[in-house]
Amino acid sequence: MASFIEILIRGLMLGSVYALVGMGLTLVWGVVGIVNIAHGEFVMLGAYFAFWAFSLIHFNPFLSILISIPVFFFAGMLIHRRITERLIKEHELSALILTFGMSILIWNLAQFFWTNTYRSVPYLTGNFPILGLVFAKSKTVSFGLAVGITAALFFFLKYSKWGKAIRATSQNSEVALVCGINTMKMRMLTFGMGIALAGAAGAIVSLQWVIFPQMGGSYVSKAFAIVVLGGLGNIQGALAGGLIIGILEAVVTQYLSAKVAQIIPSVTILVILLLRPTGLFKK
Amino acid sequence: MKKKIPIWLGTVALMVFLAMIPFFASDYWITLLVLIFIFAVYASGWNLFSGLTGYTNFGLAWFIGVSGYVSSLLIADYNLPWVFAWPVGAVFISIVSIGVGYILLRIRGVYFAISMVALAEGTRELFGTEYLSPITHGGKGVPFVAGIQLSTLYWAILFIAFISLLVCYKIASSKFGLRLVAIREDEQAAETLGIHATRDKILAFILSAFFVGLAGAIHFTYQNYIDPSFAFSIHLTLTPIVMALFGGVGTVFGPFIGATLFTLIHEVLWAELTILYMAIFGGILMALILFFPQGLLGWMKEKGILPRIRKI
Amino acid sequence: MTREPILKIVDVVKKFGEVMAVDHCSIDFERGSITGLIGPNGAGKTTLFNLITGVLQPDSGNIFFKGGDITGKRPYEIARRGVGRTYQLIRIFPKMTLLENLIVVGKGKGEKAVERAMDLLRLIKLIGKKEEYASDLSFGQQKLLSLAQVLMLDAELILLDEPAAGINPTLQNELMDLIHQLNRDGKTFIIVEHDMNVIMGHCQNAVALNYGQKIAEGPCSEIQKNELLLEHYFGR
Repeated sequence: MASFIEILIRGLMLGSVYALVGMGLTLVWGVVGIVNIAHGEFVMLGAYFAFWAFSLIHFNPFLSILISIPVFFFAGMLIHRRITERLIKEHELSALILTFGMSILIWNLAQFFWTNTYRSVPYLTGNFPILGLVFAKSKTVSFGLAVGITAALFFFLKYSKWGKAIRATSQNSEVALVCGINTMKMRMLTFGMGIALAGAAGAIVSLQWVIFPQMGGSYVSKAFAIVVLGGLGNIQGALAGGLIIGILEAVVTQYLSAKVAQIIPSVTILVILLLRPTGLFKK
Repeated sequence: MKKKIPIWLGTVALMVFLAMIPFFASDYWITLLVLIFIFAVYASGWNLFSGLTGYTNFGLAWFIGVSGYVSSLLIADYNLPWVFAWPVGAVFISIVSIGVGYILLRIRGVYFAISMVALAEGTRELFGTEYLSPITHGGKGVPFVAGIQLSTLYWAILFIAFISLLVCYKIASSKFGLRLVAIREDEQAAETLGIHATRDKILAFILSAFFVGLAGAIHFTYQNYIDPSFAFSIHLTLTPIVMALFGGVGTVFGPFIGATLFTLIHEVLWAELTILYMAIFGGILMALILFFPQGLLGWMKEKGILPRIRKI
Repeated sequence: MTREPILKIVDVVKKFGEVMAVDHCSIDFERGSITGLIGPNGAGKTTLFNLITGVLQPDSGNIFFKGGDITGKRPYEIARRGVGRTYQLIRIFPKMTLLENLIVVGKGKGEKAVERAMDLLRLIKLIGKKEEYASDLSFGQQKLLSLAQVLMLDAELILLDEPAAGINPTLQNELMDLIHQLNRDGKTFIIVEHDMNVIMGHCQNAVALNYGQKIAEGPCSEIQKNELLLEHYFGR
């Protein structure tokens, strides 16, 4: 029987990765204004990126994670410039359906080219003993990486000129508009950041879990729950939300069942939207 | 006055023709048409609510799954004849949707869309758990036989499709329909002009639930099988929406035309390109939104080929 | 013979977080009057309109319309009782035709609503455009349309939020003439305006707000004399 501390830590480890995905989505949704249903697919692509780099050229997964950031950043910018920017002024249904189509396109292409065979990156095996408890190496290191990336993100948002612009836009887009910050360029950069976070999370996940084309689905639903929990556009809120979702998942899986844990994102979304639609956390 | 008669004459003539189909067509064509009609009612039901009010219902599968389960279980476990089971399923989901609509329709915009997805996904997971097993047979599918002939089922869904077309036409030309559009245009302004938005939204929501639920009950009877992963699948939400988009969201005939076109294209693509079918479907979706968001009928109205009136 | 004021605002308070948007306001509006509501930006004028029409709920205080308590009622209920308003940023229904914009508001069935709508379109001289989309109208025409919507409602009390802003003087005069004509028919108006000429030229009374508080109230002639007051509070 696992102790409560163990479950909590397990939850935090899970949640740290979910937080990356959630922060990416809240950036794209809250700042740029695009509801990206295909967000999970970029997590999947990140995982495959690390996998193929590892199995084809024995590329160190840590390097893959690092490199995934700029790669997905530019990919995200390109996608925004060519595709999603066109929907900025349209009714939200358009973005929903477009990104839905993109999601279907991406994971089916992945299935076509890479088949449904489960893949993995068995780079870190074995366990760490920590404080008398035992945790898998892959999960512990992943946690550390997620924390590192999150810290870098916050540092960037706080101190760089561009990061400040993003925060200004997410806090009050009307004011930002007047100040001339909310330009296409800004949106493109922010979208890129959001996708980069998803890709990096995917690369991190490749160390711990199996990889398959439809894996994006569970990440995107958790990401939506996280964004709703944390408040749209609220990046710290998304971080907290990610950890909460992770802990909830660990607790429910332990005490009820993994199947029941699947309901967590849906229930979270409904409960929050009904009781506290702006999210749990103030900006 | 003169213009009205050709539309209705044409429709009635088409209906008569369609009603005769089981007498001379092969089973392949009958089943194809059954599916077209089922999805046409799904698309039209979705359009009735979302197309007019602008509240994007991304949880259509919830209506379909719940009504489908009620109806199918009544047939399978309680031997209720289909002629009663179907309406019971539809009425059940309509009543439940009053409560759900009252609660969820306070939420606007994208959030509403997401909460509807959450509802559908959550219900699917719920039906798969052990907790509801006694009723729902756990996550395992329920095969059943309703004792209905294909031709009878065909006529039933044809009739339902016709009724739903009629209802959509009536609503589009009515003040109720106009109020729904006003709610889409500017809900707050509509309210300060005396429109009881909550009541009108819920009414449209219930009507949508009823028709979609009815078609859903028929759908699973046709399949002789129901299980949670299909009954609540996102595919059942998305396909009707795409059909409505194809034909023209907010138009009356759009969803029907969209369902027909889409199913025919689907048949062709599926046969030729099975493996990449879904990927192409995704691509088509994207192209539709980027280049053709108003759908076929919307485009025709813009070009002046069709009159820009709400009744069509 | 005292008559009840058509609208009584009694000690109404509305806060947004720490900010007092409306600070213990009490104002009476007489039936059949045209009252100007003046004050600098952020004084609480539009918030007051939102409170009266039910878009916002007061934190405390009451609002009475024709003697009945409308505090906290839903917007559509208040509208149906006879309170109509227009918005500073025009809110008509863009993708509906002019005729539809009016019919959708009308109470009652079919033919009567259509006739009434046609009459109102003739009144605002836009009958020729009845089948055009409202989004195709000019700014001034849209303002007239939104006024027509309010009339369709048969509103007895009409709140106008900056009706004269952004339209040329000719149209302004037409609009004000229409308002006076309606006023003679018994309708009460409350007009938010920044243009002092409009207020002084067309309103009988005025209420001045600043920082959510009522700082002056009375016939326009008196307010006008109180230049000192205006300068002090509005910094002109």
